[in-house]
Amino acid sequence: MNLKENYKRQLETFLLAIDLLRQLFRQASKGPHRKMEIVSAIEGIGIGSLPIISIATGFTGLVMTSEIAWHMDFALSNVSMIPGFTGQFVLRELGIAVPAMLIVSKVGASMTAELASMKITEQLDAFKLLKIDVVSYHIFPRWIACILSTVCLTLISITITLLIAMFTAVTKYHFNSQEYLNTLAQFITSMDLICAITKASVFGMIIPPISCAFGLLCKGGAQGVGQATTDAVVTATLAVITLDFILTAIFSALL
Amino acid sequence: MNALLKKGLEKSIDPIMDVLHEFGGAWIFLGKVIKTFRRTSGYRKAIIQQVAEVSTRTISTVIFAGIFVGAILVLQFDTMLRRFDAEALLGGLNTSATIREVGPLIISFLLAGKVGAYTTAELANMRVTEQIDAIESLGTDPIQYLIIPRFFGVVLSSVVLLAIGLSVSVVGAILVAQSFGGINIYQYIASIPRFAGAWTLFEGLVRSTIFSTIVATVSTFKGYTASGGARGVGKAVTQSAIYINIYIVLGNFISSSLLEWIHDLTYFVIGVFERIFL
Repeated sequence: MNLKENYKRQLETFLLAIDLLRQLFRQASKGPHRKMEIVSAIEGIGIGSLPIISIATGFTGLVMTSEIAWHMDFALSNVSMIPGFTGQFVLRELGIAVPAMLIVSKVGASMTAELASMKITEQLDAFKLLKIDVVSYHIFPRWIACILSTVCLTLISITITLLIAMFTAVTKYHFNSQEYLNTLAQFITSMDLICAITKASVFGMIIPPISCAFGLLCKGGAQGVGQATTDAVVTATLAVITLDFILTAIFSALL
Repeated sequence: MNALLKKGLEKSIDPIMDVLHEFGGAWIFLGKVIKTFRRTSGYRKAIIQQVAEVSTRTISTVIFAGIFVGAILVLQFDTMLRRFDAEALLGGLNTSATIREVGPLIISFLLAGKVGAYTTAELANMRVTEQIDAIESLGTDPIQYLIIPRFFGVVLSSVVLLAIGLSVSVVGAILVAQSFGGINIYQYIASIPRFAGAWTLFEGLVRSTIFSTIVATVSTFKGYTASGGARGVGKAVTQSAIYINIYIVLGNFISSSLLEWIHDLTYFVIGVFERIFL
């Protein structure tokens, strides 16, 4: 594939993703909402990703405490500021970015693979023949489910990360757990929580349209499915990183 | 009642056993690849070709991600350090944390999607269309012919790409500190050497090597053992991305503890030498 064609394809996918987002918002305001579909999609997306995200963020908490303690020890030669620093870093950055990346590679990739294999086995054409709108019937429930489960998973992962960070601080750096929680409460405001929820819902909102756009534009048989999945994961990761930057800039200007 | 309980227990143990099978399989595969590599010669050209292919395909993405990783962290650390009135430490803390910890983590998540998924898709496609069986039936070892160039190509190019991404992230952080945050960049740059030295670079490179090995092992393993037609290819690609991410987080934890221990040991040994000889 030459360069020009590649860029043309990327532009096409980008426009389709924006169009999908517009259609999804319109359906969210007008209905039909397909509540049962949403519930079953939440089971697949949210509960299915729970074990992976718990394990990953648990280890992140472990690593982060020792890293921050190392830096603090090096810079200020005391470690009493661990709780505040950990809390802010988890709530504003790491506790949101790590689950979002995992959701991209678990949920987003499987969404693309599903839609792409439906496309190459002509199931989407069968939908069209039956006058079923694939956006309304297939993508919308997954979109809502992805938003809700990303927010919930982010909150769960923040809780797990902070708990494990506290556990590490107590066992390794001889903090008192009461004292740890008190210091944490001094440094965390409701603004941090609002920041976390906003970022998580934005990430949950943009991952499905990007993945589905790559799935819908997939072509070229079985090889195309693999290609579409790869492209979707990379593009969604880059989109998450870029939006993370924009939101961080906005929130640090607000504070 | 007892049978029901047993059935439920078996059902809940199944996913755990799957994960353990995957983990063990990846280790065995890595051992097989290394053993085969020791009795392989003359594949240098193929490896170099793979390195060229992988790095030219991925470098633009890595540079883009590197700039943004640095930019996000500098804004974040700026807000956090302002509350502690420790803005003088911003440059050093940010650079050290990016190179040692967050940079390798996030850039290798990206490499898992870009390099890992591509390699898996390629190999899985060969497996389900029986090209690998054809190679085997012609008397060539597919691990020697297909896996070794890809494995070492991915490892080498990922290390180089991670190093490029990390250096770009330092530049990106300085650019954003200058244009967005209203941070004094002379103070920023002056405080970098206080935290980030040779050890930081060493640690970043060790992490990068470990993560690259994880990406290469899991992607080739999942691709080589794919089965089940066109759907199997999609499944292998998705699973390889997930497993790479999980192993990277685990490897991050293990390498962090090991490196801390090595750091302490090294400085202890240096201290002893200084006492004896100086």
